[in-house]
Amino acid sequence: MTDDQRDVEQDVLRARLRAADPASSLPPADPERAARLLEDVMSTELTTENRATGTRGRGPLTWLVAAAAVLIIAGVGIFAVVGHDDGPAAPPTAVDDQSVTELSAPSPTAYAAKCMVPSAETLAQQSVAFDGTVTTLADGAVTLSVGHWYAGGPTDLVRVQAPEEELQDLVGAVKFEQGGRYLVSATNGRVTVCGFSAPYSADLAALYDQAFG
Amino acid sequence: MESRRERFERIAPGLIEPVRRYLARRTDPTTAEDVLAETLLVCWRRVEELPEEPLPFVYGVARLCLRNAERSARRQERVAARVAAIDPPAEAAPGPEERDEEVAAALAALRAADAELLRLWAWEQLAPAEIATVLGITPNAASIRLHRARGKLAERLRKDAAASGHEESREGRRP
Repeated sequence: MTDDQRDVEQDVLRARLRAADPASSLPPADPERAARLLEDVMSTELTTENRATGTRGRGPLTWLVAAAAVLIIAGVGIFAVVGHDDGPAAPPTAVDDQSVTELSAPSPTAYAAKCMVPSAETLAQQSVAFDGTVTTLADGAVTLSVGHWYAGGPTDLVRVQAPEEELQDLVGAVKFEQGGRYLVSATNGRVTVCGFSAPYSADLAALYDQAFG
Repeated sequence: MESRRERFERIAPGLIEPVRRYLARRTDPTTAEDVLAETLLVCWRRVEELPEEPLPFVYGVARLCLRNAERSARRQERVAARVAAIDPPAEAAPGPEERDEEVAAALAALRAADAELLRLWAWEQLAPAEIATVLGITPNAASIRLHRARGKLAERLRKDAAASGHEESREGRRP
């Protein structure tokens, strides 16, 4: 094929393609709108940036706002962890020179929820798990002395605190009794029920071993 | 030495129409309008970087802006589907009555990258070196790929023409 032939073929092809151009019927932009668009664009310089300009040109106010946002986020985070005393990262608090992990009762809806058969996989997701004995069961709290930590801790004691009603539900669900030995797990600072936390049994202990072993 | 503003005011008016068309060919009118503004904004910020022949470069900017817009649009699609009551975006600007449907169908049947090369070549009327600028590839690669894409399109058109010459028993033929 000669160059001329090829050129002609290309021209034909290009012409056919042009006939399929969906923008060929597009009317030109209204000049006034176009002018306004350009004006808008030119007035946005200092408030925007792209990857090429990076953070250059950011006003000091932007940084101030960003810094404030960081502080607020950090504050909320710290409040969530410390203020509620329920995160696994909660610093142990000393009582009578014994370190304590604070937990709370599950939300009342947890009891109504359908339970799945406790499995090692689900259990492994709990952030706190231990084998402990109830030392006191009073004053709106259940305190356990921990014999073995599977996850979380380690502290000498675990105290589960909750409003009276919620605590009654929990005590009923787990069958906490003074002096009894229990396997207890918790996530997000709340004791898990549904068979995950229960009086000590070899079967459940095996499951705990499997989950955290 | 002209100021940033002077330079932008000199170049930008000439960009609007081509970029509008570029976008009208590839997306719905609402998105096209947004992306046009976004593209001009990038040009304004980077006015010093605009080459003396700015169009290929600016098409490249528009291409990336459009891709970003479509990415976020996809994220919103599921939500949009639930709120489908609000006005659906119009079809990309309808072509004239005499629009070449055969070539449009053949173009649509090509690989997206091939079709885009051909669009840039025929619709934006760019040379291979300019296409290379838009797509961020080497002129050589653009040239070779364009050549192949043209070959594929011509081949498909030939097949379609042959098919329509026979009975309409071939696949892909529309009534």
